[in-house]
Amino acid sequence: MVKEIQNKANEILQNTFASERKFSLDKVGEPILWANGPKDALHLIKKFQDHIDLKIDFLSDLTAYDNTDKKDGEGRFVVVIQLLSMQTFIRIRLKVLLKANEEMETLTNIWPAANWLEREVFDMYGIIFAGHPNLKRILMDERFHGHPLRKEYPYKQREPFSDNTKINLSNSTRGSSSHE
Amino acid sequence: MSKDGSSMVYPTLLNHAAKWARKNSLWPMPYGTSCCGIELMSTLSSTYDLARFGAEVVRFSPRQCDMLIVAGTITTKMGPVLRTIYDQMLEPKWVIAMGACSSSGGIFDTYSVLQGIDEIMPVDVYVPGCPPIPEGLIHAILHLQKVIDQGLPRNTAEKPSYDEAINAMTYKKYVGPKSQYVVTESGVLPNR
Ligand code: SF4
Repeated sequence: MVKEIQNKANEILQNTFASERKFSLDKVGEPILWANGPKDALHLIKKFQDHIDLKIDFLSDLTAYDNTDKKDGEGRFVVVIQLLSMQTFIRIRLKVLLKANEEMETLTNIWPAANWLEREVFDMYGIIFAGHPNLKRILMDERFHGHPLRKEYPYKQREPFSDNTKINLSNSTRGSSSHE
Repeated sequence: MSKDGSSMVYPTLLNHAAKWARKNSLWPMPYGTSCCGIELMSTLSSTYDLARFGAEVVRFSPRQCDMLIVAGTITTKMGPVLRTIYDQMLEPKWVIAMGACSSSGGIFDTYSVLQGIDEIMPVDVYVPGCPPIPEGLIHAILHLQKVIDQGLPRNTAEKPSYDEAINAMTYKKYVGPKSQYVVTESGVLPNR
């Protein structure tokens, strides 16, 4: 039953949204839609929410990965947004390819739950979410500088803090987040 | 007591009595952060019953404890918290590093994990294992009792000021040199 609804949703996506965007299905038959940039992603989410058959109303996950091997095109990071409808149980995976210095649009205005997820992505990859109310590190220490899930970060490299580096909470927002 | 009223025997006995009391009433402060913590709970509960060795009164206030059991992975961000707890404990105090993670970082040789708690505080007994079985921890506590019985000087750590403590990331300069002795099954050896 759920499978049939999902297949129907895939068709809707294919027909309505896939004309000027990349669209594919993964191994379990769930749709992957590539947005043309951050603005388009936000626009798409609004469309999904209002769509009479899709009724997307739940952000199930927001994460990212490093596209260093350029498998998914010319771009540094891919932000992955997993969407779910609690009414129809349709799942949609929205992906956004970002250039090295490009900023992502925040989803906190649509789903407050995106707050911590976006902070985690910022912490691990240094992707800046424009319009986020409190964009600072969530897992690593406030005095940490790198972004450890970037592929160029040596994973055994612990950052030595000298004993007099002060914690400065007010400065850590966007503090050390320059994209190299 | 000798005839002129000076005491002879009594102070030595008191010293021994204090040592005996200390080693048989070690009050643990549990610091279980991950999987080893489960094994610590098991050690304290009825199957293994740590109470048999006089170390059952688990206190969650560092002011009332004398044995800190660090059971689990300590991240660099958590280092200052653990060190603050250590500093709050009253002398005499001892530290057991339970499991590979707290002894040496274990499998987590990564950007965020402390490579052994001896980077931030002096450790008395290391328990190998991932996780150590409850018998391992009991053995460590019995071993610690031996250490206390030997009455060897314990390397104490230098105390940082409050400001230094909350902002420090490494406590290397407060840990002090390694202990001069190692207590083994066969006796006391110099630490090389
Ligand atoms: S030593 Fe092993 S069991 Fe103990 S906390 Fe580390 S990973 Fe977990």
